[in-house]
Amino acid sequence: MQKLEAGKNLNNIIFGLIAIISLFAFFKLAKVKASSKQLNRDSRINRFGNQNTNNIIEGESEEISDEEDK
Amino acid sequence: MSKHAAINRFGRSANPAFTKNFNQFANDLPLSDRMTLDGAVNKTGILLSLCFGGAFIGWNIPQLMFPAMLIGFVLAMITIFRSPAKAGSTAPLYALTQGIFLGGITLFFEAQFPGIAIQALALTFGILATLLVCYKSGLILPTQNFRLMLVSAMGGILLLYLVNFVMSFFGSTLSFLTSNSPMSIGVSIIIVGVAALSLVLDFDFIEEGAEKGMPKYMEWYGAFSLMVTLIWLYLEILRLLAKIRSR
Repeated sequence: MQKLEAGKNLNNIIFGLIAIISLFAFFKLAKVKASSKQLNRDSRINRFGNQNTNNIIEGESEEISDEEDK
Repeated sequence: MSKHAAINRFGRSANPAFTKNFNQFANDLPLSDRMTLDGAVNKTGILLSLCFGGAFIGWNIPQLMFPAMLIGFVLAMITIFRSPAKAGSTAPLYALTQGIFLGGITLFFEAQFPGIAIQALALTFGILATLLVCYKSGLILPTQNFRLMLVSAMGGILLLYLVNFVMSFFGSTLSFLTSNSPMSIGVSIIIVGVAALSLVLDFDFIEEGAEKGMPKYMEWYGAFSLMVTLIWLYLEILRLLAKIRSR
């Protein structure tokens, strides 16, 4: 009977420790930025739209003249 | 501001929250008014503390369990559908009331299966930390399809619970959801899996919001969504453990 009670107590201590260590790891790790593998990929869910709504297309610009149409 | 100037400034809708140029609006915010990773994590800590405080009350006064559950449900609906911007005031109340509910229900399970509460708690936080490591390291990459799959699964689970709830009024339940048969345990494991993977979506939401400099209230909203998933996960683990131990 005493052994059973001690086993239960040990069980509680082990699970309690797991909970505390996990919580500690969560709060420590959550403040760290995710890896570049996670952040720099094309398949990311885009919930908030694009950060830089830039309408300028990079590259060499070329003036369009009306003379070409004539 | 003339009508056309407003459209040029914010897009077709005058409310910047509903325009596609939302990020342009976010970029206009001063740095101190933008969402940060630290802020969201600290707010999650505050909500968790309130939830534990509530659980202490619920454990000692289990009669408050059902009123607290209903108030928490209403607060969650208000936060999600009416005013995410007011999550700063609704989310702490939600955490407290749900804590009271969890305290009461945990007492009920603990009376039947001693030691189940600490096991469920350890498993919940263990899954939380493990999935965070997987997300941060890039082992799990949430995509649009991943989100679609999870939302569909959550819809299916919600439907099952609704059918079960309605059937309970007629003195019957879905046995594969409530009994302790191997099939019911299997269904419970799948539900725990879906709830656990939903955490990844919450991590990604917070990470993206902080990265794109969303408004400060999104810290509360991100912490709130994490709490909702954690509470769901804890309840499902509690049910799963109870089913296993009652065999």
